[in-house]
Amino acid sequence: MIITKNIKMADVIHTNYFTLSVLNRFGIELGFGDKSVDEVCKKNNVDVDFFLEIVNAFVDKDYFPKKHLQTFSVKLITDYLQKTHDYYHKLKVPEIENLIEEMVDSCYTQKENIVLLKKFFNDYKQELLNHTHREEKIVFPYTLAIEKAYNSEESDNSVIELMETYSIEIFQNEHDNIEEKLLDLRNIIIKYLPQPKNSRLCNKLLYELFNLEQDINDHSRIEEKVLVPKIREMEKIITKRFAKK
Amino acid sequence: MYKATFIIIEKSYLIRKGLISIIEKIPNTQVIQQFDNEDDLKTPANFESDFIIINPNLLNANTLNIIKKITPSPALSACSADRSAGRRARKTQVISISEKSTVLTKEFEWTAQIYLDDTQNSILKKLNTLIGNRETKNVKSEVPEEISKREIDILKNIALGYSNKEIADKLFISTHTVVTHRKNITRKLGIKTVPGLTIYAILNKIIDINDTGKSKS
Ligand SMILES: [Fe+2]
Ligand SMILES: [Fe+2]
Repeated sequence: MIITKNIKMADVIHTNYFTLSVLNRFGIELGFGDKSVDEVCKKNNVDVDFFLEIVNAFVDKDYFPKKHLQTFSVKLITDYLQKTHDYYHKLKVPEIENLIEEMVDSCYTQKENIVLLKKFFNDYKQELLNHTHREEKIVFPYTLAIEKAYNSEESDNSVIELMETYSIEIFQNEHDNIEEKLLDLRNIIIKYLPQPKNSRLCNKLLYELFNLEQDINDHSRIEEKVLVPKIREMEKIITKRFAKK
Repeated sequence: MYKATFIIIEKSYLIRKGLISIIEKIPNTQVIQQFDNEDDLKTPANFESDFIIINPNLLNANTLNIIKKITPSPALSACSADRSAGRRARKTQVISISEKSTVLTKEFEWTAQIYLDDTQNSILKKLNTLIGNRETKNVKSEVPEEISKREIDILKNIALGYSNKEIADKLFISTHTVVTHRKNITRKLGIKTVPGLTIYAILNKIIDINDTGKSKS
Protein backbone atom coordinates (compact mmCIF):
# COMPACT_ATOMS: atom_id res chain seq x y z
CA MET A 1 0.00 0.00 0.00
CA ILE A 2 1.26 3.46 -0.84
CA ILE A 3 0.68 5.90 1.98
CA THR A 4 -0.84 9.22 0.92
CA LYS A 5 -1.65 12.58 2.48
CA ASN A 6 -5.27 11.95 3.21
CA ILE A 7 -4.96 8.63 4.99
CA LYS A 8 -5.45 8.73 8.73
CA MET A 9 -2.13 8.68 10.50
CA ALA A 10 -3.50 6.00 12.82
CA ASP A 11 -4.13 3.75 9.83
CA VAL A 12 -0.55 4.19 8.68
CA ILE A 13 0.58 2.52 11.88
CA HIS A 14 -2.18 -0.07 11.80
CA THR A 15 -1.13 -1.24 8.35
CA ASN A 16 2.55 -1.33 9.17
CA TYR A 17 3.79 -1.34 12.68
CA PHE A 18 7.35 -0.51 11.63
CA THR A 19 6.33 2.98 10.59
CA LEU A 20 6.33 3.83 14.28
CA SER A 21 10.08 4.20 14.25
CA VAL A 22 9.90 6.62 11.32
CA LEU A 23 7.27 8.70 13.10
CA ASN A 24 9.51 8.75 16.10
CA ARG A 25 12.38 10.15 14.02
CA PHE A 26 10.21 12.95 12.73
CA GLY A 27 9.28 13.78 16.29
CA ILE A 28 5.65 12.79 15.83
CA GLU A 29 4.08 11.43 18.97
CA LEU A 30 1.10 9.14 19.27
CA GLY A 31 -2.34 10.36 20.28
CA PHE A 32 -3.31 12.05 17.02
CA GLY A 33 -6.89 10.77 17.00
CA ASP A 34 -8.39 10.62 13.52
CA LYS A 35 -6.20 13.30 11.99
CA SER A 36 -4.83 12.70 8.50
CA VAL A 37 -1.16 12.32 7.64
CA ASP A 38 -1.24 15.83 6.23
CA GLU A 39 -2.74 17.36 9.38
CA VAL A 40 -0.41 15.54 11.75
CA CYS A 41 2.62 16.59 9.71
CA LYS A 42 1.53 20.22 9.64
CA LYS A 43 0.99 20.23 13.36
CA ASN A 44 4.47 18.84 13.94
CA ASN A 45 6.17 21.10 11.38
CA VAL A 46 7.09 18.16 9.22
CA ASP A 47 7.36 18.49 5.43
CA VAL A 48 4.57 16.15 4.42
CA ASP A 49 5.90 15.34 0.93
CA PHE A 50 9.25 14.39 2.35
CA PHE A 51 7.63 12.36 5.12
CA LEU A 52 5.54 10.42 2.62
CA GLU A 53 8.48 9.48 0.42
CA ILE A 54 10.58 8.45 3.38
CA VAL A 55 7.89 6.40 5.05
CA ASN A 56 6.84 4.71 1.80
CA ALA A 57 10.42 3.79 0.93
CA PHE A 58 10.86 2.49 4.47
CA VAL A 59 7.98 0.04 4.30
CA ASP A 60 8.32 -1.00 0.69
CA LYS A 61 11.80 -1.95 -0.50
CA ASP A 62 10.70 -1.53 -4.10
CA TYR A 63 9.36 1.95 -3.65
CA PHE A 64 12.28 4.28 -3.99
CA PRO A 65 11.61 7.51 -5.87
CA LYS A 66 15.21 8.64 -5.75
CA LYS A 67 14.78 11.44 -8.28
CA HIS A 68 11.99 12.96 -6.22
CA LEU A 69 13.88 12.44 -2.98
CA GLN A 70 16.83 14.29 -4.50
CA THR A 71 14.68 17.39 -4.87
CA PHE A 72 14.44 17.92 -1.12
CA SER A 73 16.95 20.14 0.57
CA VAL A 74 20.20 18.76 1.92
CA LYS A 75 19.21 20.13 5.29
CA LEU A 76 16.01 18.08 5.31
CA ILE A 77 17.79 14.93 4.19
CA THR A 78 20.72 15.16 6.57
CA ASP A 79 18.41 16.04 9.46
CA TYR A 80 16.54 12.84 8.86
CA LEU A 81 19.74 10.81 8.53
CA GLN A 82 21.04 12.37 11.72
CA LYS A 83 17.86 11.47 13.58
CA THR A 84 18.15 7.92 12.33
CA HIS A 85 21.66 7.73 13.76
CA ASP A 86 20.32 8.90 17.09
CA TYR A 87 17.59 6.29 16.92
CA TYR A 88 20.18 3.55 16.47
CA HIS A 89 22.42 4.68 19.26
CA LYS A 90 19.86 5.78 21.80
CA LEU A 91 17.24 3.08 21.22
CA LYS A 92 18.07 0.13 19.02
CA VAL A 93 21.62 -0.63 20.10
CA PRO A 94 20.86 -0.41 23.85
CA GLU A 95 17.82 -2.63 23.33
CA ILE A 96 19.93 -5.30 21.70
CA GLU A 97 22.59 -4.93 24.36
CA ASN A 98 20.00 -5.45 27.07
CA LEU A 99 18.73 -8.56 25.36
CA ILE A 100 22.20 -10.04 25.11
CA GLU A 101 22.88 -9.11 28.72
CA GLU A 102 19.69 -10.85 29.74
CA MET A 103 20.81 -13.91 27.80
CA VAL A 104 24.15 -13.94 29.58
CA ASP A 105 22.40 -13.73 32.94
CA SER A 106 19.86 -16.41 32.26
CA CYS A 107 22.11 -18.95 30.59
CA TYR A 108 24.07 -21.47 32.60
CA THR A 109 24.96 -24.09 30.05
CA GLN A 110 26.91 -21.99 27.55
CA LYS A 111 27.58 -18.67 29.12
CA GLU A 112 30.95 -18.44 27.38
CA ASN A 113 29.28 -18.58 23.95
CA ILE A 114 26.83 -15.84 24.77
CA VAL A 115 29.72 -13.77 26.07
CA LEU A 116 31.26 -14.17 22.62
CA LEU A 117 28.12 -12.73 21.03
CA LYS A 118 28.24 -9.92 23.50
CA LYS A 119 31.80 -9.05 22.57
CA PHE A 120 30.98 -9.28 18.88
CA PHE A 121 28.09 -6.89 19.26
CA ASN A 122 30.10 -4.59 21.43
CA ASP A 123 32.76 -4.28 18.73
CA TYR A 124 30.02 -3.77 16.21
CA LYS A 125 28.53 -0.98 18.24
CA GLN A 126 31.89 0.78 18.22
CA GLU A 127 32.15 0.38 14.48
CA LEU A 128 28.67 1.76 13.94
CA LEU A 129 29.49 4.64 16.21
CA ASN A 130 32.64 5.45 14.25
CA HIS A 131 30.71 5.20 11.01
CA THR A 132 27.94 7.57 12.00
CA HIS A 133 30.33 9.88 13.83
CA ARG A 134 32.39 10.35 10.71
CA GLU A 135 29.28 11.17 8.73
CA GLU A 136 28.09 13.66 11.28
CA LYS A 137 31.45 15.36 11.70
CA ILE A 138 32.69 15.37 8.11
CA VAL A 139 30.13 14.34 5.53
CA PHE A 140 26.97 16.14 6.62
CA PRO A 141 28.72 19.46 7.30
CA TYR A 142 30.40 19.17 3.91
CA THR A 143 27.11 18.57 2.11
CA LEU A 144 25.50 21.50 3.90
CA ALA A 145 28.37 23.78 2.89
CA ILE A 146 28.00 22.65 -0.71
CA GLU A 147 24.29 23.36 -0.64
CA LYS A 148 24.89 26.81 0.79
CA ALA A 149 27.44 27.66 -1.88
CA TYR A 150 25.15 26.26 -4.52
CA ASN A 151 22.27 28.43 -3.41
CA SER A 152 24.19 31.67 -3.02
CA GLU A 153 24.64 33.69 -6.16
CA GLU A 154 27.95 35.27 -5.30
CA SER A 155 30.86 32.95 -5.66
CA ASP A 156 33.04 32.44 -2.68
CA ASN A 157 36.48 30.94 -3.06
CA SER A 158 36.32 29.08 0.21
CA VAL A 159 33.96 26.48 -1.16
CA ILE A 160 36.40 25.65 -3.95
CA GLU A 161 39.11 25.24 -1.36
CA LEU A 162 36.77 22.98 0.60
CA MET A 163 36.10 20.90 -2.49
CA GLU A 164 39.82 20.44 -2.94
CA THR A 165 40.11 18.83 0.47
CA TYR A 166 37.00 16.67 0.33
CA SER A 167 34.43 15.56 -2.18
CA ILE A 168 31.33 13.43 -2.19
CA GLU A 169 33.28 11.00 -4.36
CA ILE A 170 35.57 10.31 -1.40
CA PHE A 171 32.57 9.58 0.78
CA GLN A 172 31.09 7.28 -1.81
CA ASN A 173 34.29 5.28 -1.96
CA GLU A 174 34.93 5.08 1.75
CA HIS A 175 31.31 4.42 2.74
CA ASP A 176 31.43 0.86 3.97
CA ASN A 177 28.76 -1.75 4.27
CA ILE A 178 27.90 -1.60 7.92
CA GLU A 179 25.15 -4.21 7.71
CA GLU A 180 27.41 -7.11 6.80
CA LYS A 181 28.38 -7.94 10.36
CA LEU A 182 24.76 -8.01 11.48
CA LEU A 183 24.03 -10.59 8.83
CA ASP A 184 26.96 -12.66 10.09
CA LEU A 185 25.67 -12.46 13.63
CA ARG A 186 22.24 -13.57 12.51
CA ASN A 187 23.71 -16.50 10.63
CA ILE A 188 25.80 -17.55 13.61
CA ILE A 189 22.79 -17.53 15.90
CA ILE A 190 20.53 -19.34 13.44
CA LYS A 191 22.99 -21.91 12.18
CA TYR A 192 25.81 -22.47 14.62
CA LEU A 193 25.07 -21.37 18.15
CA PRO A 194 24.11 -24.30 20.39
CA GLN A 195 20.60 -23.22 21.25
CA PRO A 196 20.22 -21.85 24.74
CA LYS A 197 17.37 -23.14 26.87
CA ASN A 198 15.73 -19.77 26.73
CA SER A 199 14.69 -19.58 23.11
CA ARG A 200 12.36 -16.66 23.74
CA LEU A 201 15.31 -14.31 24.23
CA CYS A 202 17.15 -15.77 21.29
CA ASN A 203 14.19 -15.26 18.97
CA LYS A 204 13.71 -11.75 20.19
CA LEU A 205 17.35 -10.98 19.59
CA LEU A 206 17.15 -12.31 16.05
CA TYR A 207 14.10 -10.20 15.42
CA GLU A 208 15.83 -7.07 16.67
CA LEU A 209 19.00 -7.76 14.70
CA PHE A 210 16.99 -8.27 11.56
CA ASN A 211 15.12 -5.03 12.11
CA LEU A 212 18.26 -3.05 12.67
CA GLU A 213 19.83 -4.54 9.57
CA GLN A 214 16.81 -3.61 7.43
CA ASP A 215 16.72 -0.16 8.90
CA ILE A 216 20.40 0.50 8.19
CA ASN A 217 19.86 -0.81 4.67
CA ASP A 218 17.18 1.77 4.08
CA HIS A 219 19.35 4.44 5.66
CA SER A 220 22.42 3.68 3.56
CA ARG A 221 20.29 3.68 0.47
CA ILE A 222 19.28 7.27 1.16
CA GLU A 223 22.91 8.21 1.70
CA GLU A 224 24.17 6.53 -1.43
CA LYS A 225 21.33 7.00 -3.86
CA VAL A 226 19.90 10.33 -2.78
CA LEU A 227 22.51 12.39 -0.96
CA VAL A 228 25.54 11.40 -3.03
CA PRO A 229 24.06 12.06 -6.51
CA LYS A 230 22.46 15.28 -5.31
CA ILE A 231 25.74 16.64 -3.98
CA ARG A 232 27.67 15.43 -7.00
CA GLU A 233 25.34 17.45 -9.22
CA MET A 234 25.83 20.53 -7.06
CA GLU A 235 29.61 20.10 -7.07
CA LYS A 236 29.59 19.98 -10.85
CA ILE A 237 27.57 23.17 -11.15
CA ILE A 238 29.69 25.03 -8.62
CA THR A 239 32.85 24.00 -10.45
CA LYS A 240 31.36 25.19 -13.73
CA ARG A 241 30.43 28.56 -12.27
CA PHE A 242 34.00 29.07 -11.17
CA ALA A 243 35.43 27.99 -14.47
CA LYS A 244 33.38 30.71 -16.16
CA LYS A 245 34.85 33.47 -14.07
CA MET B 1 23.36 -20.22 -0.77
CA TYR B 2 22.11 -19.05 -4.13
CA LYS B 3 22.81 -21.04 -7.23
CA ALA B 4 22.62 -18.04 -9.49
CA THR B 5 22.47 -14.31 -8.95
CA PHE B 6 21.18 -11.65 -11.31
CA ILE B 7 21.55 -7.95 -11.90
CA ILE B 8 18.87 -6.24 -13.94
CA ILE B 9 19.51 -3.02 -15.82
CA GLU B 10 16.33 -1.78 -17.44
CA LYS B 11 14.41 1.50 -17.44
CA SER B 12 10.90 0.16 -17.31
CA TYR B 13 9.55 -0.66 -13.88
CA LEU B 14 7.05 -3.10 -15.35
CA ILE B 15 9.70 -5.04 -17.19
CA ARG B 16 11.99 -5.17 -14.14
CA LYS B 17 9.15 -6.41 -11.97
CA GLY B 18 8.15 -8.96 -14.56
CA LEU B 19 11.67 -10.32 -14.88
CA ILE B 20 12.10 -10.54 -11.14
CA SER B 21 8.87 -12.43 -10.69
CA ILE B 22 9.94 -14.94 -13.32
CA ILE B 23 13.49 -15.33 -12.01
CA GLU B 24 12.18 -15.93 -8.51
CA LYS B 25 10.24 -18.90 -9.77
CA ILE B 26 13.54 -20.70 -10.26
CA PRO B 27 14.71 -22.14 -6.94
CA ASN B 28 17.78 -20.62 -5.30
CA THR B 29 18.08 -17.64 -7.57
CA GLN B 30 18.17 -14.07 -6.53
CA VAL B 31 18.09 -10.65 -8.15
CA ILE B 32 20.72 -8.86 -6.12
CA GLN B 33 20.53 -5.46 -7.76
CA GLN B 34 18.32 -3.60 -10.16
CA PHE B 35 19.11 -0.36 -11.89
CA ASP B 36 16.82 1.85 -13.88
CA ASN B 37 19.56 3.86 -15.55
CA GLU B 38 23.20 3.54 -16.41
CA ASP B 39 24.32 6.39 -14.16
CA ASP B 40 23.61 4.40 -11.04
CA LEU B 41 25.90 1.60 -12.03
CA LYS B 42 28.89 1.96 -9.86
CA THR B 43 31.20 -0.88 -9.09
CA PRO B 44 32.22 -1.57 -5.56
CA ALA B 45 35.54 -3.41 -5.36
CA ASN B 46 34.15 -6.91 -5.40
CA PHE B 47 30.87 -6.80 -7.16
CA GLU B 48 29.62 -10.25 -7.97
CA SER B 49 26.82 -11.63 -10.03
CA ASP B 50 26.42 -14.60 -12.32
CA PHE B 51 24.11 -12.95 -14.82
CA ILE B 52 23.33 -9.48 -15.99
CA ILE B 53 20.13 -8.80 -17.85
CA ILE B 54 20.36 -5.48 -19.63
CA ASN B 55 18.33 -3.48 -22.08
CA PRO B 56 20.66 -2.99 -25.08
CA ASN B 57 19.70 0.70 -25.22
CA LEU B 58 21.51 1.19 -21.93
CA LEU B 59 24.66 -0.45 -23.17
CA ASN B 60 27.49 1.93 -24.04
CA ALA B 61 31.24 2.12 -23.61
CA ASN B 62 30.82 3.08 -19.99
CA THR B 63 28.37 0.39 -18.94
CA LEU B 64 30.32 -2.16 -20.92
CA ASN B 65 33.39 -1.33 -18.91
CA ILE B 66 31.59 -1.74 -15.63
CA ILE B 67 29.98 -4.98 -16.69
CA LYS B 68 33.39 -6.37 -17.55
CA LYS B 69 34.51 -5.76 -13.99
CA ILE B 70 31.69 -7.75 -12.46
CA THR B 71 32.75 -11.25 -11.58
CA PRO B 72 30.55 -14.29 -11.10
CA SER B 73 29.61 -15.06 -7.53
CA PRO B 74 31.72 -17.74 -5.86
CA ALA B 75 28.82 -20.17 -5.72
CA LEU B 76 29.17 -20.90 -9.38
CA SER B 77 32.81 -20.23 -10.06
CA ALA B 78 33.98 -22.03 -6.96
CA CYS B 79 36.02 -24.80 -8.42
CA SER B 80 37.49 -22.79 -11.27
CA ALA B 81 40.38 -21.83 -9.05
CA ASP B 82 40.93 -25.35 -7.80
CA ARG B 83 41.55 -26.63 -11.27
CA SER B 84 44.37 -24.80 -12.95
CA ALA B 85 42.67 -25.16 -16.32
CA GLY B 86 39.75 -23.11 -15.15
CA ARG B 87 41.84 -20.58 -13.38
CA ARG B 88 41.30 -17.82 -15.88
CA ALA B 89 38.50 -15.73 -14.50
CA ARG B 90 35.13 -16.83 -15.70
CA LYS B 91 33.02 -14.04 -17.06
CA THR B 92 29.65 -12.94 -15.88
CA GLN B 93 27.13 -13.79 -18.55
CA VAL B 94 25.15 -11.02 -20.14
CA ILE B 95 21.59 -11.45 -21.36
CA SER B 96 19.66 -8.87 -23.32
CA ILE B 97 16.06 -7.86 -22.76
CA SER B 98 14.59 -6.14 -25.78
CA GLU B 99 11.80 -6.06 -28.28
CA LYS B 100 13.81 -7.56 -31.10
CA SER B 101 17.00 -9.43 -31.56
CA THR B 102 20.10 -7.21 -31.38
CA VAL B 103 23.68 -7.80 -32.39
CA LEU B 104 26.61 -6.57 -30.41
CA THR B 105 30.25 -5.86 -31.15
CA LYS B 106 32.46 -8.81 -31.83
CA GLU B 107 34.25 -8.57 -28.51
CA PHE B 108 31.01 -8.83 -26.65
CA GLU B 109 28.32 -11.36 -27.17
CA TRP B 110 24.95 -12.01 -25.64
CA THR B 111 24.73 -15.27 -23.77
CA ALA B 112 21.04 -15.29 -24.50
CA GLN B 113 18.34 -12.87 -25.57
CA ILE B 114 14.98 -12.42 -23.97
CA TYR B 115 12.25 -10.75 -26.01
CA LEU B 116 9.31 -8.82 -24.71
CA ASP B 117 6.83 -11.10 -26.42
CA ASP B 118 8.42 -14.27 -25.02
CA THR B 119 6.07 -16.44 -22.98
CA GLN B 120 6.88 -17.11 -19.38
CA ASN B 121 7.79 -20.67 -20.24
CA SER B 122 10.24 -19.73 -22.92
CA ILE B 123 11.96 -17.27 -20.60
CA LEU B 124 12.14 -19.88 -17.86
CA LYS B 125 13.57 -22.33 -20.35
CA LYS B 126 16.26 -19.91 -21.49
CA LEU B 127 17.28 -19.08 -17.95
CA ASN B 128 17.21 -22.68 -16.76
CA THR B 129 19.42 -23.72 -19.64
CA LEU B 130 21.96 -21.07 -18.73
CA ILE B 131 21.95 -21.95 -15.05
CA GLY B 132 22.09 -25.64 -15.91
CA ASN B 133 25.03 -25.17 -18.25
CA ARG B 134 27.04 -23.52 -15.57
CA GLU B 135 26.21 -26.17 -13.04
CA THR B 136 27.42 -29.07 -15.12
CA LYS B 137 30.66 -27.23 -15.68
CA ASN B 138 30.98 -27.10 -11.92
CA VAL B 139 30.08 -30.58 -10.86
CA LYS B 140 31.99 -30.13 -7.66
CA SER B 141 29.74 -27.38 -6.39
CA GLU B 142 26.86 -29.85 -6.35
CA VAL B 143 28.26 -32.08 -3.62
CA PRO B 144 27.28 -31.21 -0.05
CA GLU B 145 29.12 -28.22 1.24
CA GLU B 146 31.36 -29.65 3.92
CA ILE B 147 34.19 -27.42 4.92
CA SER B 148 37.46 -29.11 3.94
CA LYS B 149 40.50 -29.79 6.08
CA ARG B 150 42.52 -27.22 4.18
CA GLU B 151 39.78 -24.67 4.66
CA ILE B 152 39.78 -25.36 8.39
CA ASP B 153 43.52 -24.61 8.40
CA ILE B 154 42.89 -21.33 6.66
CA LEU B 155 39.91 -20.50 8.86
CA LYS B 156 42.00 -21.11 11.94
CA ASN B 157 44.60 -18.63 10.76
CA ILE B 158 42.00 -16.03 9.83
CA ALA B 159 40.50 -16.35 13.28
CA LEU B 160 43.93 -15.98 14.84
CA GLY B 161 44.21 -12.64 13.13
CA TYR B 162 46.62 -13.35 10.29
CA SER B 163 46.39 -11.50 6.99
CA ASN B 164 46.04 -13.23 3.63
CA LYS B 165 49.70 -12.60 2.91
CA GLU B 166 50.82 -14.04 6.24
CA ILE B 167 48.64 -17.10 5.80
CA ALA B 168 50.05 -17.65 2.31
CA ASP B 169 53.63 -17.50 3.64
CA LYS B 170 52.84 -19.81 6.54
CA LEU B 171 51.19 -22.48 4.44
CA PHE B 172 53.47 -22.13 1.40
CA ILE B 173 50.64 -21.26 -0.98
CA SER B 174 49.90 -18.17 -3.06
CA THR B 175 47.85 -15.28 -1.75
CA HIS B 176 45.49 -15.92 -4.62
CA THR B 177 44.81 -19.41 -3.31
CA VAL B 178 44.17 -18.04 0.17
CA VAL B 179 41.63 -15.63 -1.27
CA THR B 180 39.90 -18.45 -3.11
CA HIS B 181 39.74 -20.55 0.04
CA ARG B 182 38.32 -17.59 1.92
CA LYS B 183 35.61 -17.12 -0.66
CA ASN B 184 34.70 -20.78 -0.40
CA ILE B 185 34.63 -20.67 3.39
CA THR B 186 32.33 -17.65 3.30
CA ARG B 187 30.07 -19.33 0.79
CA LYS B 188 29.83 -22.54 2.76
CA LEU B 189 29.31 -20.96 6.16
CA GLY B 190 27.39 -17.85 5.16
CA ILE B 191 29.75 -15.75 7.24
CA LYS B 192 31.66 -12.90 5.64
CA THR B 193 33.54 -10.89 8.22
CA VAL B 194 36.61 -11.76 10.27
CA PRO B 195 34.87 -11.33 13.65
CA GLY B 196 32.06 -13.57 12.42
CA LEU B 197 34.50 -16.26 11.26
CA THR B 198 36.31 -15.99 14.57
CA ILE B 199 33.16 -16.77 16.52
CA TYR B 200 32.48 -19.72 14.26
CA ALA B 201 36.00 -21.01 14.86
CA ILE B 202 35.61 -20.73 18.62
CA LEU B 203 32.17 -22.34 18.66
CA ASN B 204 33.56 -25.25 16.69
CA LYS B 205 36.73 -25.52 18.77
CA ILE B 206 38.94 -24.72 15.80
CA ILE B 207 40.68 -22.18 17.97
CA ASP B 208 40.61 -21.52 21.66
CA ILE B 209 38.97 -18.38 22.92
CA ASN B 210 42.23 -17.30 24.57
CA ASP B 211 44.12 -17.43 21.29
CA THR B 212 42.29 -14.71 19.44
CA GLY B 213 43.97 -11.78 17.85
CA LYS B 214 47.31 -11.81 19.65
CA SER B 215 49.22 -14.85 18.54
CA LYS B 216 51.08 -13.05 15.80
CA SER B 217 54.52 -14.17 16.90
FE1 LIG C 1 24.47 7.30 8.15
FE1 LIG D 1 26.38 5.51 6.33
